[in-house]
Amino acid sequence: MSILEVNHIEKNFGATKVLKDISFTLEEGQALSIIGSSGSGKTTLLRCLNFLETPSSGSISVRGETLFDAADSRTQTESAIRKKRLHFGLVFQNFNLFPQYTALQNVTLARMLQAKETGESKESIETAGMELLSQMGLANRANHYPHQLSGGQQQRVAIARALALHPDILCFDEPTSALDPELTGEVLRVIRDLAEKKTTMIIVTHEMNFARDVSDQLIFMDGGVIVEQGDPYQIINNPREKRTRQFLSHYAEK
Amino acid sequence: MSFGTVSMMLGKSFLLNCQIFFVTLLFALPLGLLISFGSMSRIKPLSWFSRLYIYLMRSTPLMLQLAVVFYLPGYLNPSHGLSRMTAACIAFVLNYAAYFSEIFRGGILGIPKGQQEAGQVLGMTKGQIFCHITLLQLVKRIVPPIGNEVITLVKDTSLANFIMVKEIIAMAKEFGNKAMIWPLFYTGVFFLIFNGIVTMLLNRTERKLSYFQ
Repeated sequence: MSILEVNHIEKNFGATKVLKDISFTLEEGQALSIIGSSGSGKTTLLRCLNFLETPSSGSISVRGETLFDAADSRTQTESAIRKKRLHFGLVFQNFNLFPQYTALQNVTLARMLQAKETGESKESIETAGMELLSQMGLANRANHYPHQLSGGQQQRVAIARALALHPDILCFDEPTSALDPELTGEVLRVIRDLAEKKTTMIIVTHEMNFARDVSDQLIFMDGGVIVEQGDPYQIINNPREKRTRQFLSHYAEK
Repeated sequence: MSFGTVSMMLGKSFLLNCQIFFVTLLFALPLGLLISFGSMSRIKPLSWFSRLYIYLMRSTPLMLQLAVVFYLPGYLNPSHGLSRMTAACIAFVLNYAAYFSEIFRGGILGIPKGQQEAGQVLGMTKGQIFCHITLLQLVKRIVPPIGNEVITLVKDTSLANFIMVKEIIAMAKEFGNKAMIWPLFYTGVFFLIFNGIVTMLLNRTERKLSYFQ
């Protein structure tokens, strides 16, 4: 059984159709990259999966459980959504770290708040948080505030923060678009590590080589539809669709 | 009359100014926050009502509002009436809550939406997001504009003499009636000292919150 099944997702903002009949599946331990030009709907798709947007129609299932069904409003109450969105983690383009908390506090905050229900001890949450920061190569930055960290470090803290809640599927929304090339590398290395550890991921990115190397599956979106999906090498090196070739040619020139 | 006696009497009446000041802060800040939520609400009647309230409070003189709160109940029903101090406090709370609410609204709207979304994707409730993420960032943003209002409030408290509250300026005017004009000038010292302390506290708060950006 696929870990994620997305069925016929549509999203309209007023009269504008941003997503049209999006369907795909993702297997556990695999990485899916989504590429496409700005405005193609990739970010909206990611936001739908994380319940930051409500799809106009379609359904989303994780491990066979229907998390969202546009036809069933019971799946859309606030408290229902809050639990279900924990299946997904999201790393934002602009990091969105909480400025008043240290790196470690950013990572542990959500679990500390959940501790009232889970009964988890403060110490064990902090140990787990430190472990994640070490994994990101940031053990010595645990007590720094976000404004004292470089963009690459901030993004790695953000990845640790998302991982702290053990999401089934970790989503990245252009995780390196706000970084210069030097810092991009350190963030991509971390994501590559996660892929090697078989973390189930969906990565929206403009880094074509990275997408080709790291992912098991690739989707090219344009105008709110999936134009092409399948093997990353095949799509990037030998695209079937004319629109995909057009899009990729912009990268080849660079 | 000696300097000491005048100081004592002015000081005593200044306690009324202080009382109005503290009561106003205590109630107008939370009320202002509620009104700011109201004015940003997606529930149309609620936001409409909040905006109307802010319009009325900001567009009419505080003096007039004092008069309305104090005289209107008794005018409508002679057996009802508020004490002068109660009326003054109510009028100040209602007036300042309107100004505070606009400052809160500006502060909340100024916090990047990504902060709230980051909390949402971490499974936090709206209340948790407000208390643990938004609030401190909001406080940091609004200290300077709120500080402005607070300092104005200290001085505005003397408007209560319009409804015969015997605050410090009213007291000084009584001395004036006895051909003593200097106590009126002297009242400025009380305001200067009080606002000196307020300014110091505001600066300290700003410094305390400077550890993050």
